[in-house]
Amino acid sequence: MNCHRTRVAVAARFLAPVLVLLAAPAAHAVPSFARQTGMACEACHTVWPELTHFGRVFKANGYILDNLKQVRGVTAQKEEILSLASLPPLSIMVQLSDTQLAKPMPDPAVAGASQQNGSVAFPQQLSLFYAGKIAPHGGAFIQLTYSNDSGGIQIDNTDIRFADLKTLPGDQSLIYGVSLNNNPTVQDLWNSTPAFGFPYAGSNSAPGIPYGTQIDGALGTNVAGLTGYVFWNESLYGEVGLYRSAQQRTLPLDSTAAGVLSGSAPYWRLAYEHNWGRHSIEGGLYGASFKFFPGAGQALAGPTDDFQDVAEDVQYQYLGDTHLFSVTATRIHEKQTLNATYAAQVAADAGIGNLSNDLTTLRGFATYYYKRKVGATLGYFSTTGSTDAVSAPNSPDTKGWVAELNYMPWLNTKFSVQYTAYSKVGGLSNDILGDGTGRKASDNNTLYILAWLSY
Amino acid sequence: MRHPILLALGLLCALGIGVVHADDVDQATHEHAVHVAVGTCGTCHGPTGVSQQPKYPLLAGQNANYVAAQLKAFRNQTRGDADAIGYMWGMSATLEDGTIDALAQYYAAQKAGRGRAGETALVAKGRQIYEKGVESVGVPACAACHGPDAHGMGDFPRLAGQHAQYVMKQLASFQNNMRNVAVMHGVAQGLKVEEMRAVAAYLEAQE
Repeated sequence: MNCHRTRVAVAARFLAPVLVLLAAPAAHAVPSFARQTGMACEACHTVWPELTHFGRVFKANGYILDNLKQVRGVTAQKEEILSLASLPPLSIMVQLSDTQLAKPMPDPAVAGASQQNGSVAFPQQLSLFYAGKIAPHGGAFIQLTYSNDSGGIQIDNTDIRFADLKTLPGDQSLIYGVSLNNNPTVQDLWNSTPAFGFPYAGSNSAPGIPYGTQIDGALGTNVAGLTGYVFWNESLYGEVGLYRSAQQRTLPLDSTAAGVLSGSAPYWRLAYEHNWGRHSIEGGLYGASFKFFPGAGQALAGPTDDFQDVAEDVQYQYLGDTHLFSVTATRIHEKQTLNATYAAQVAADAGIGNLSNDLTTLRGFATYYYKRKVGATLGYFSTTGSTDAVSAPNSPDTKGWVAELNYMPWLNTKFSVQYTAYSKVGGLSNDILGDGTGRKASDNNTLYILAWLSY
Repeated sequence: MRHPILLALGLLCALGIGVVHADDVDQATHEHAVHVAVGTCGTCHGPTGVSQQPKYPLLAGQNANYVAAQLKAFRNQTRGDADAIGYMWGMSATLEDGTIDALAQYYAAQKAGRGRAGETALVAKGRQIYEKGVESVGVPACAACHGPDAHGMGDFPRLAGQHAQYVMKQLASFQNNMRNVAVMHGVAQGLKVEEMRAVAAYLEAQE
């Protein structure tokens, strides 16, 4: 979800509308893992990027499982001090897409004119991955992306981790490790959390959801996090860590930067997974607490805008040889206490908004695949919360449905048709832009056609 | 040995090909194999060969000859069922003979997992097939090769306690010849799905 932007994206405009794309365009799986392990994609994925239990264990173990010839180094005490694959684990990913809105958006520069409908993205994204083992107990998932909306190459999702395994009495196992990453939940093992949650790709040219919570992809690539985790008996998972601002293009951070974290933000995760037969079910909690300096002209000191995120998630999978079915859902609740913004508004004696807001995002999706060849997903999304007079729109309420059809001629190639239907945008069903043009929420309905190749 | 399949099996046993002896494995190879077993194989099969996921076979207590033969078949890409291709061809590609023998010894030395009781009627039916076969369609008794307690004999694998889901999948693979073993193709081709389910449930219930 590297395109998510939320209320904190622009300093001192915490309640300004900043469109949040529904999709998670940076959620990927990569063939370099298949090259490294010698296993087909189906070992780790139902259909990429959704992980199977094995894929989750592979990730928790630090991406180190391999069958390639290694360049090794050992000490006289037989301690392994180097283990590098003879070939680097590289992959390329390309997304080509076309976006069609039910009604084109107004041209921002010419009154009465419309933007061209039918946005072709060639490519929408082109990514280079280094994804695989880097040391005896270490692995990395590093993504560099060219995207047509930025027009440049930038760092994307990154997860570098070190892990080890202990065997406990009674044939139980304990995987433990640390992850250094740049997007809260990118290191998570389940697809019910934001970074690798459905939809796995979406339009970057269509209008999206006006507001989103911080943990829902808002901070991707602008933070650095160090987390430690344990995975007991491949069922009980716990993780804690800290995130700190690590913004791109601005260093060192000062008053010219916006949305800078004060100190470090704690992150936590607890999940339990139960597997039986071909079934797997997981339920969990995750959350984080962020304190931001507004910056953007103000010194990085004094009061902060505080965001407390607490979320629940659930995932169910059925992995048959012919039929595959999965359900993922999450609900994220955010409590906002905008000390800095409120104080600034009071001092200016103008446009005084709420000191406190709440925001709740709910998403749920069900996916079916036939022989990993043809599949469909149907899902619901909703963001609701308090209204604030100084925001435009002043309500975050946005609701709708997503339906997606997929065809995979080969395991590393996916063709998708996705339709997103909105029943409400910014608390409104009609005149959602508030400019008298009468644009309806359903005018934002989006048809998105995608060719997604990984090799 | 009236049954031609049993005759073939007897000949296989008599050949005694690929017998793995503990003495063949030196300490360094053993240590390497333990490292591989715990760190690599253990991801699916459990650190001691007691897999938690029924998709992956239990290896703890498995006959060393059988494990070694299968690993070589994966490495040589001669075992062709879907999971063998998708998982094990890659994972075994760089295993050397010595490591394979040491891995086989490692798993043979582990304590086998406990069986799981199944549906009583199904298990009883499975026991009947396991011990007597299905004479009407020429299916011989499984016990003839895998032993009365299903602990395996010689080159023939231990089946006691094995995950029913895995056993079902293997029987289906023998039946459709994706796992190309002539003897087991002959055994399995006469089995109906319900009979395979029964045998799998019976085996899973054994210790």
